[in-house]
Amino acid sequence: MIASARAEWARLIRRRVLLGALLSVLVAGVGGATIVLAAAEPAAKVPPGSSAPTLEGLATSGGGTQVFRDVVGFGGTLVFVVFIGLFALEFSRGTYRTMLLRQPRRIRLLAGRYLALVGFVAVGLAVTELVTWTVARLEASTFDVAADSWTSLAAIGSGLRDYATVLVWLAGYSVLGMTVAVLLRSVPLALAVGIAWAGPAEHLIGGFWASAEKVFPGLLLEIVGRGGTATVSATRAMVTAAGYIAVAAVASCLAFARRDVTA
Amino acid sequence: MTTPPPPAVEIDGLTKRYGDRVAVDRLTVQIPRGAVAGFIGPNGAGKTTTMAMLLGLLRPTSGDGTVLGEPIQHPERYLGRVGALLEGPALWPALNSVENLQVLARLGGHDQRRIPEVLDLVGLGARSGDRFGRYSLGMKQRLGIAAALLGDPELLILDEPTNGLDPAGISDMRDLIARAAADDRTVLVSSHLLSELEQICDWLVIIERGRLVYAGEAAALGAHTEILLGPAEPADLLALAEVVAAAGHEAGSIGEQLVVPIDGADPRAAAASLNRAAAAAGIVLAELHVRRPTLESVYLRMFEGEVA
Repeated sequence: MIASARAEWARLIRRRVLLGALLSVLVAGVGGATIVLAAAEPAAKVPPGSSAPTLEGLATSGGGTQVFRDVVGFGGTLVFVVFIGLFALEFSRGTYRTMLLRQPRRIRLLAGRYLALVGFVAVGLAVTELVTWTVARLEASTFDVAADSWTSLAAIGSGLRDYATVLVWLAGYSVLGMTVAVLLRSVPLALAVGIAWAGPAEHLIGGFWASAEKVFPGLLLEIVGRGGTATVSATRAMVTAAGYIAVAAVASCLAFARRDVTA
Repeated sequence: MTTPPPPAVEIDGLTKRYGDRVAVDRLTVQIPRGAVAGFIGPNGAGKTTTMAMLLGLLRPTSGDGTVLGEPIQHPERYLGRVGALLEGPALWPALNSVENLQVLARLGGHDQRRIPEVLDLVGLGARSGDRFGRYSLGMKQRLGIAAALLGDPELLILDEPTNGLDPAGISDMRDLIARAAADDRTVLVSSHLLSELEQICDWLVIIERGRLVYAGEAAALGAHTEILLGPAEPADLLALAEVVAAAGHEAGSIGEQLVVPIDGADPRAAAASLNRAAAAAGIVLAELHVRRPTLESVYLRMFEGEVA
């Protein structure tokens, strides 16, 4: 598994990939932080139950990293789609065949690749948090956001907690993305099925079935990312989503280990 | 007294079914260590499927086998000593050849210091900085061979390595395989280019519709000499065949010629005897050759049937 992770890592730390990732992080961090601060309004003007940022909320010790959480709000879908693409593409290219000739222990190969990619996401996420916090701190006064408490010890705790929550949320999406890719083994098919299910299907059903957010994995992961809702706590969402993720991980490992590799 | 090493490849009753279709049918083959074995058969005969089963990519429906003495159910025990190129080189197009080989070296636990050596061996040393996606098909095939050689394997399995290559590329590939076969390395190579295989292989495995047709020394397959007879008048071909049969030989026809296998007898004396018999029957021969059959002629006779 370590060899597999190291091999994947070698592909990820190429200059071109790193520059592309850094550019994406900077654009998301600078642009996202600016948009979140600009959108913040006094709490009195924000409708009850809205998740829109408020000036009062941003002024708390966790305000700096709340900007980060708001900025990476689209990250679940992005990671889901990227993982589908990365895992399914190897089937289309025939490179699993090449890799399995060097690492015939299939589950180790899959796990190693996954860990390397999630590790890359984790590093990218940490850099994104640093960038958004720094940009938000620099711009706070421009948008009348009080950022004095962002450098307290409590703020550091909030930052670490927010980072861990988002990472768990993204890791969940990444396992689901990998599973769809391994089961369907085709980039267009996996993307179509994955996006259709996690996007429109869950949200449409959720629109008329109140319990959908307690049942569907994508909605549960969104709740984890948001830190819970009025009806589903973050802990319950995380436990239920963990069950789905465990089933998905086992399904993808079994499928990858047992199927013939013909491409 | 030391025990001789097991064959490089030994399969017994290997079968692969896809629903009702049998891709490989109870194949039983041995390939001795150090052999350069040609794997021959028509399209769809089951060559690639057999190789993929040896490499752990496909699970046999039934049957058994060993590779380098280890059971094929446990490819992890032997793939570190096997290099392979199956169904064309599949590598990462955005990576150059060095980066591609570095990834594979890390994955297989191979020594990365061998990368320049194998790139030089396949003639890609000067183009090692180019991305794989920009390579010509011939260069991609070469990099695929380099990847297969990276772990300094005891057994090299190459599936149609000359596919898509021009004549110069085919010649280069033949030399490359011959070099790779040095140092007692066992090579199993499939190809449609029988003339190329004939030059490098000392062992042959021939299959058709998943079944074994021949497995053994290449020299033994074409051990008999054959006499080629061509009448001046094509209309005399049937009469000439009767003359040959009357002389106690069986003949096959290729175009407007008869091919007469000679086993054991002095081929020159047999040719002279047939020449006299044809003349006595009033048939003028425009052609009379004594030759060893080419692999291609043996192969074609196997699959097209004999006409006598």
